[in-house]
Amino acid sequence: MTSPVPTIDRSCGPSGCEVDWLTSERHQVADDVASFTAWAAERGWGDGLPLVPPTEGRVRAFLANCGRFPDEVVAALPPLQGECTVEKIAVNAVMAGTTPAAMPLIIAAIEAMARPEFNLAALNATTGSVVPAVIVNGPARDDLDIAYEVGCLGGAGGGAPAIGRAIRLVMRNLAGQLAGVTSQSVFGTPGRLAGIVFGEWEEVSPWAPLAQRRGVTGNAVTVYGAMGTTNICDMIADNGRSLLEYVGKGLAYHGANGTLPSSAFCEAFVAFNPVWAKMIAAEYPRMEDVQQVLWEAASLPVSSFPAGYDESLVGDRRIGDRMYIAQSPGDVLVAVCGGMGNLHALSMPSWGDTKSVTAGFQ
Amino acid sequence: MTFVLDPTLAPVADIGDPGPDVDTLQGKRVGFRRDILWRSWDWVSDEWARLAQTDGAEVRFWRAKGRTGDEGDAMLKELDEFVAGIDIAVVGLANCGSCTSWTIHDALRAASTGIPTAAVCTDHFKDLASTLARRGGRSALRRHILPYPLDTLPEAEVRDIACAHYRSFLRTLGL
Repeated sequence: MTSPVPTIDRSCGPSGCEVDWLTSERHQVADDVASFTAWAAERGWGDGLPLVPPTEGRVRAFLANCGRFPDEVVAALPPLQGECTVEKIAVNAVMAGTTPAAMPLIIAAIEAMARPEFNLAALNATTGSVVPAVIVNGPARDDLDIAYEVGCLGGAGGGAPAIGRAIRLVMRNLAGQLAGVTSQSVFGTPGRLAGIVFGEWEEVSPWAPLAQRRGVTGNAVTVYGAMGTTNICDMIADNGRSLLEYVGKGLAYHGANGTLPSSAFCEAFVAFNPVWAKMIAAEYPRMEDVQQVLWEAASLPVSSFPAGYDESLVGDRRIGDRMYIAQSPGDVLVAVCGGMGNLHALSMPSWGDTKSVTAGFQ
Repeated sequence: MTFVLDPTLAPVADIGDPGPDVDTLQGKRVGFRRDILWRSWDWVSDEWARLAQTDGAEVRFWRAKGRTGDEGDAMLKELDEFVAGIDIAVVGLANCGSCTSWTIHDALRAASTGIPTAAVCTDHFKDLASTLARRGGRSALRRHILPYPLDTLPEAEVRDIACAHYRSFLRTLGL
């Protein structure tokens, strides 16, 4: 077995190495956040929030902790399609205000988003309000202080917002996703600022972790093309069957990705709070059965669509006189997270024919 | 003062050549790449195909569907086979963000084989198409611009627009 951690410290500078491994152009600027943020904004590097100046020292600290060589090409991110190196990711991660320890997760998420099935070229250009959500499994949740309990999708603080922002800055500065230039997103989404990054509360989930069910154990990210978040509230159901049916029906609405003829493939995502998860699992201990009930409920009668829509409701999501929001039960992703306050499930409608990707990291 | 590292990348190398001109339609195989989004592009390409046949061309159609997973792999294979069987590629329709991305992708793939290729865009998405062509490494990719909005117009009106644009479309191809 060879260690994945390089034995050569390539974070060293010209004084410490025969070759300086950092190839980014250097700019001389004032070393304070306000001045640098204003200067960077003029160059289109910024997202409107304060930016940490990516000095050589800060960037080298990030590189020293990530176990990857600075000149390694992680991906060619569309639409720019340039070589997205570990060094460039580190520069953007510094600016976002995250920590060096987050580098392996950030790199894994970017590698996952660059997979062909994620369709990043289309996702980064679309008129839709989509952002890749990152669901984290494994010990890294706690190591990086990624929230998975109350307020985990926003408001809980911790390490997730800066990690999400680092990924968003990579999309801006390396992929070249710029609103009104390469991105045609009509409305955008708040998630394009700090991403959507949260953990699964594996310790209270009655089912195996999401990533494990998708074949990856330990630290892992699952990236999913999310058209924002939607709340599904219920105060009536007193059994797992009713609750699953109700939430499933909440996934299906006119205008959802699955109802669009332009989407050749569609997924759905549901997060259950721990209280509901326990109630559901009492009747459905197998995740496959949970997905089956959700999928069966997540459909709309063709008769509910306005006149003129019928001929567009085709493909393998139309079964008989109903239009399903996903091709199969397995395309409904389920995770457990959130507070113990009960009452709510969370849905993330999908985008286009993007297929979610799960990847592990050290 | 201090030194900071640049967080951006330089654009990829650019090909400033639009590719060969079309000298005649007589006896040429004109391939129209369609999609599963825009009925207006079906109508426009119907009309252009009919007129091209009148000008002596043989026309072929191929429809792009899902672009991810196994279906996505199959689409690329089908596209390559389609392009291998034509002399002129007409790729549309760039009429939204994601479909502009795939229109330019497929047009660049066709152009890279050396055949005359035009991407067809609506006016609102022409700048995106130009940007993506540049970032895809071929800023001079031929683009024909149709009015916007197009897909919300009645079929007869769209077909009239197609006919009105036919000659300028041929000029886009260099004819």
